[in-house]
Amino acid sequence: MDIKQRLKSLLQEAEIYRSQGLISEAYGKYQDAEKMVHSIGNLKNKASLLNAIAEKISALNFTKEKVEKGPTSPELSKKAQDLIKNLFAFSENKDEDAAALDGAVVLAKFGQFDRAIEELNALLSRESIKVEAAKNILRCHMATEANQEAVNLYRQWHTEDIFQPNQLEQVRVYLVDALSKRGVELDLPSPVATIVDVAAGQMPDGQVADDSNDEEFLDITSIGITFESGPRKGKMVEFDVNFQSGNMLSLIISKQDQGLIEDLKAGMELREIQFYSPIAIFNGSGVVSSKTQIKSGPKQGDYCLDIRIKSN
Amino acid sequence: MAIFNLKKRLIECKIVYYGPGRCGKTTNLEYIFAQFKKQVKGEMVSINTEGDRTLFFDFLPIGLGQIRGCDVRVQLYTVPGQVKYSSTRKLVLRGVDGIVFVADSLEVRREKNMGSLKDLQANMKEYGKNIFKVPLVLQYNKRDLAAQGIPLMPIELMERDLNRQLKVPSFEASAVTGVGVGVTLKECLKETLKALQKEFKWAQ
Repeated sequence: MDIKQRLKSLLQEAEIYRSQGLISEAYGKYQDAEKMVHSIGNLKNKASLLNAIAEKISALNFTKEKVEKGPTSPELSKKAQDLIKNLFAFSENKDEDAAALDGAVVLAKFGQFDRAIEELNALLSRESIKVEAAKNILRCHMATEANQEAVNLYRQWHTEDIFQPNQLEQVRVYLVDALSKRGVELDLPSPVATIVDVAAGQMPDGQVADDSNDEEFLDITSIGITFESGPRKGKMVEFDVNFQSGNMLSLIISKQDQGLIEDLKAGMELREIQFYSPIAIFNGSGVVSSKTQIKSGPKQGDYCLDIRIKSN
Repeated sequence: MAIFNLKKRLIECKIVYYGPGRCGKTTNLEYIFAQFKKQVKGEMVSINTEGDRTLFFDFLPIGLGQIRGCDVRVQLYTVPGQVKYSSTRKLVLRGVDGIVFVADSLEVRREKNMGSLKDLQANMKEYGKNIFKVPLVLQYNKRDLAAQGIPLMPIELMERDLNRQLKVPSFEASAVTGVGVGVTLKECLKETLKALQKEFKWAQ
């Protein structure tokens, strides 16, 4: 193939890549063509050909910039957002509140933060999901790089009476941890609550913890475990309590959290646990009593962890 | 994950078209929407595209009618191919029952194909699924461009790059002309239903 034929085929290739939207590939071929034109001594219309190629390259640069700088998740129409909720909210829960939370979270995952925040705000009045709604509102703000907005919001909640102290403490722990992962270390005001130390045998209102008597144990809604070793050393990870029988708490850990599953071994002593109950937050310790993989049902493959609260 | 409603004898499953950016995933769905009128059960929805680039996903519901006493409905999705939309890809992939991996036959896209397949494998792993066990079909798209003198990869090379270990059904295609689109989908549906039958045993 002579050089003019080669040039022709190079330009054709570049044009097809451009029409296919393959910007970098088209760009490369036009650059090759430009070099080839320069190398041909006796080419007619050399200047106009070079000019045409330069225009193509410039147009490609413009498109490239537009693609690269375009928003990753532009705000969609309400109709499109409704479709996203409809297609991707996988709530197996028939509970209306849980389904509403699921829908709002899905919107947030697709980057539809404005509407997600609007819907999550409306859910702050629903007792069963308000903590999760609050955490997701903060998550939306942090996802849009508005960390300060999240902090301001927490401070505002701290002065209001939307949350019970234990609920707000869960929100605080979540926010501090999330900010820390983003390299922001902050001390946020803790809600006023009765913090007692189970390990020391102190319970609110003078109660004494006694693991021989189930009645004496408070209802624990969630716990925060501070890891003493491994990759999470020094970090607190929160878990919802799925079931409680006296001093035995059952938690579900998703099969996706392989790291956590591996870190929490049966027999392991957990020296630093923060327990959240509707009336108090207290510190204590516990032991991983058992860890079993769920064999069937919607949580198949997840792990069930039993933790026995220790008290003296 | 597929929904099997025993009372209504209804199966609803999800097939995702995966592949690198600009490989022709949306074109596959557009062709199905235009040509398979009898099966199409609603509008094809393209959630926000920038020019002709998918930023979120495409969605097309189709129905296969009664198969062994069950009404089978399929949701077809595409993912955004560009690397930066990784989280959206993962979200769309959630609960997938069958996958069509659309590979670009252009020689210049060889690396992108391999990168995208690796990305698929990683995303499946995060959902606790094994790419070797999920119904999967490969489509080698844009074969028509050879006629225009554009350098394409030989099928043997694409098989070696992408299908050496997977050993799944693969098809040559040209989504713009429709060649290979139907057969790819049909094979993926076959594999998917076979897997669902194994799981739900509805045809017994």
